[in-house]
Amino acid sequence: MPNKKLGAWELTEYEIFLIETVGSISAGLIVSGIILAVLGYNPIRGLSLLLLGGLRNPDYLLSRATFIMMTGLAFAIPLYAGLFNINGEGEMYIGGLVALLTAIYTGNGFLAILAGGVAGAALGLLVSALRVYRGVNEVVTAIMLNMAIYYTIIYLITSKFYDPVAPHESVKVPVSARLGTLNLVVIKIHVIFLLALAFIALSYYFLYFTKLGYEIRVSGLSPASARYAGINSNRAMINSMTFGGFFAGVGGALNVVGFMYYIDSLLTSMHGMGFDGIGVALMGRNNPLGIVLASIFFSMLILGSQRMQLLMRVPKELADALSGVIIIAFSLPYAYRMLISYLRTRRMIKIGAEQYS
Amino acid sequence: MQQGEIAIEMNGITKIYPDGVIALRDVDLIVKKGEIHGLLGENGAGKTTLMRILYGEIKPSKGTIRIFGKKVRFRGPWDAMREGIGMVYQHFSLIPSFTVLENLVLSLSSTVKVTINQVKKKAETIIEKVGLNVPLNTRVELLDVGVQQRVEILKALMRDAKILVLDEPTSVLTPTEVDEFLEMLRKLKEMGITVIFITHKLREAKLITDSITILRRGRAVGVVETNKVDEAELAKMMIGRKIALEIPKKREGPMTGNVVLKVENLQVRDDKGLVAVKGVSLTLREGEILGLAGIQGNGQRELIEAIVGCRPVEKGNVIFMGENVTGMSPSEIYRKGLAYIPDSRAVGLVLDMDIVSNSILTRLKNFLGKGGRIMWSKAHSFSSKIVNEFEVLTDSLKTPVKYLSGGNQQRLLVGREVAQRPKVIIAAEPTHGLDVAATEYIRSLLAKLRDEGTAILLVSTDLDEILQLSDRIAVIYEGEIMAIGRPEEFTTERLGLLMGGVKCQTKN
Repeated sequence: MPNKKLGAWELTEYEIFLIETVGSISAGLIVSGIILAVLGYNPIRGLSLLLLGGLRNPDYLLSRATFIMMTGLAFAIPLYAGLFNINGEGEMYIGGLVALLTAIYTGNGFLAILAGGVAGAALGLLVSALRVYRGVNEVVTAIMLNMAIYYTIIYLITSKFYDPVAPHESVKVPVSARLGTLNLVVIKIHVIFLLALAFIALSYYFLYFTKLGYEIRVSGLSPASARYAGINSNRAMINSMTFGGFFAGVGGALNVVGFMYYIDSLLTSMHGMGFDGIGVALMGRNNPLGIVLASIFFSMLILGSQRMQLLMRVPKELADALSGVIIIAFSLPYAYRMLISYLRTRRMIKIGAEQYS
Repeated sequence: MQQGEIAIEMNGITKIYPDGVIALRDVDLIVKKGEIHGLLGENGAGKTTLMRILYGEIKPSKGTIRIFGKKVRFRGPWDAMREGIGMVYQHFSLIPSFTVLENLVLSLSSTVKVTINQVKKKAETIIEKVGLNVPLNTRVELLDVGVQQRVEILKALMRDAKILVLDEPTSVLTPTEVDEFLEMLRKLKEMGITVIFITHKLREAKLITDSITILRRGRAVGVVETNKVDEAELAKMMIGRKIALEIPKKREGPMTGNVVLKVENLQVRDDKGLVAVKGVSLTLREGEILGLAGIQGNGQRELIEAIVGCRPVEKGNVIFMGENVTGMSPSEIYRKGLAYIPDSRAVGLVLDMDIVSNSILTRLKNFLGKGGRIMWSKAHSFSSKIVNEFEVLTDSLKTPVKYLSGGNQQRLLVGREVAQRPKVIIAAEPTHGLDVAATEYIRSLLAKLRDEGTAILLVSTDLDEILQLSDRIAVIYEGEIMAIGRPEEFTTERLGLLMGGVKCQTKN
């Protein structure tokens, strides 16, 4: 069913998607507004801060979106093969650390990004190989690895690679390896955002135009068909996790080489972004382009809720809850479709079966 | 038996599903007390839906039901059971690890309070009265399908069912078992039990029923008294037009074509690790259809999967075009010119992908360009060729395959495999679940390919299909070939016996 009729208009799938998205955001905003009003805050001001607060600094918004875009991919690609990659967090940390070290020892930023990606890929390979050859559930492995990696890196930063001048930070990325900003006519933009877009395009090409991507998609959608067609599902799973890990590693590397230029001793600049990626991937419907939009929207809400806390003294919990309401509103189209089909049945019964005979 | 009393009266039954599919339109069904009433129709005509409504499992969108004159509204099967309706599905609802008696107790105790001894006593009475041959203390998993079916019937009778609904009861039985089964139905009728017999097999409908309601695409198109019609008329009503299912068969002397596929002493294990194929040897020549008959689950699937390389071969060889291909991967074997049409469309196609993506599934390498890039334009033209040549009805090549009807999916699947001009085709249940038109199409296509020199291994549980198409027939039972020969050497009865594992002594 590629096209649907709505009144007099014939709508394509994309138009329907657009209408649904706009509709759900509006519904989310209305509910959030009511909550704000009931609690005695000015809903108009609150919502405009929540939505537009992030836009005050487009460069920062896009840079922030860059990282969860990458971890979003890291979750999305294994999902095509039917695997849950909860390891994005750990892969990102490892990617960041390896990128930092590569940058320090080689002074080359692009090499550092690649090295970070490879490190993330290696972690994905490990997790998926354990799943495929040893039957260890990938989610369990990932959760444990996330913790192990988090503390190991904290240990390394605070004891081995700390900056003598500012001991809560690591050694800085050498200037030669830093990726800076581009000054486009009106706005300033970080190079890493453009790199991330290139990686998104790469992932799209990988999924839809290569043998490996095709095999991953078939294995995820129908394992029995994969077996019939002679596709090695195990290898497809490993490939998907490896590629996913690569992108999360790149995310960490971009954070270090192109944005922070160091890793702080509690990893605050990356903390939680691996998990945000899961939400981004789901909201973007697992589609690379959708992930770009979702990651920007996600970042907008995060920055907006910070503005709301700052300027309106809204408690953090409420600000987060409002972002949550808006995100949940994205599931409205599904509820709407169920309602429609129910009503249609009722109507058909009313008109009577004779008319259909 | 009181003449003329009405057991079931269903009036104006309409069922519309939430997705807008109209399964039944204004169907009337009137069944007299104590008769065997046939419900005849093709797959998807709405027979099972109608019966599930009668059994209270689904609610009709419109219409009324009267049981013995009393108007009823069922909230669930338990209500239907209380009114004396018993149902036996194609797939049994028995617990395999329980004994027959335990299953009976379980089913009864869900509505009434009984002790195991009461159940046993009652069961023994019924078994004696009806002549149901059922061992009460054997675990269900050890019983044949035919016996399990009798357990299901016993279960319904234990609830004092006055109306018994049987959904395609003979589809799981061998021909000999069918005769016994029909005999039992006559006994039930003598006891005054009303039976609704759902089937699409004309012969059985004609043989056993007193009257027949014919359903076609969700509508009741006729009610007839069985002794006033012949099978051809029934078929016409069921299908809506004359069927020409006779496919010219090439009848000549011994097969002389080159041997293209040779299976030598193959031994294969199933998923549970049991030996499912026990030393099977077959040869397949150019221009012949070798029909492999057998009841489902006798090693057919394991045999085919081992031939195409999806399943490891434990012993033996597969020789394709003179080359030993044992242990090669399926994609390699497919590329050498062997095509495999699996018995399930959900396996042969990725239902969530579109037609173009599905068209490259089994021969992905042919569509790869430099650096492993998929050449979608080539795939696109290939899929449009399939759609045109094999008359797949679709709006667009980008339509996900799950939105196609079963017949169109099968055309796409068969078309994809055939379009590559394979030397050998292995077709498993190629017409399973298709309507008559699609069945006819697929069968004539296979016959045409055979005439053009393709070798076809046809694996089917449908005896009619095997008899109609095969130049040679092999019968498989528990992983062994029971017999192999030309179709003239087999009568339906002999085939049935062989499929049931009985090696009969032929006269010659």
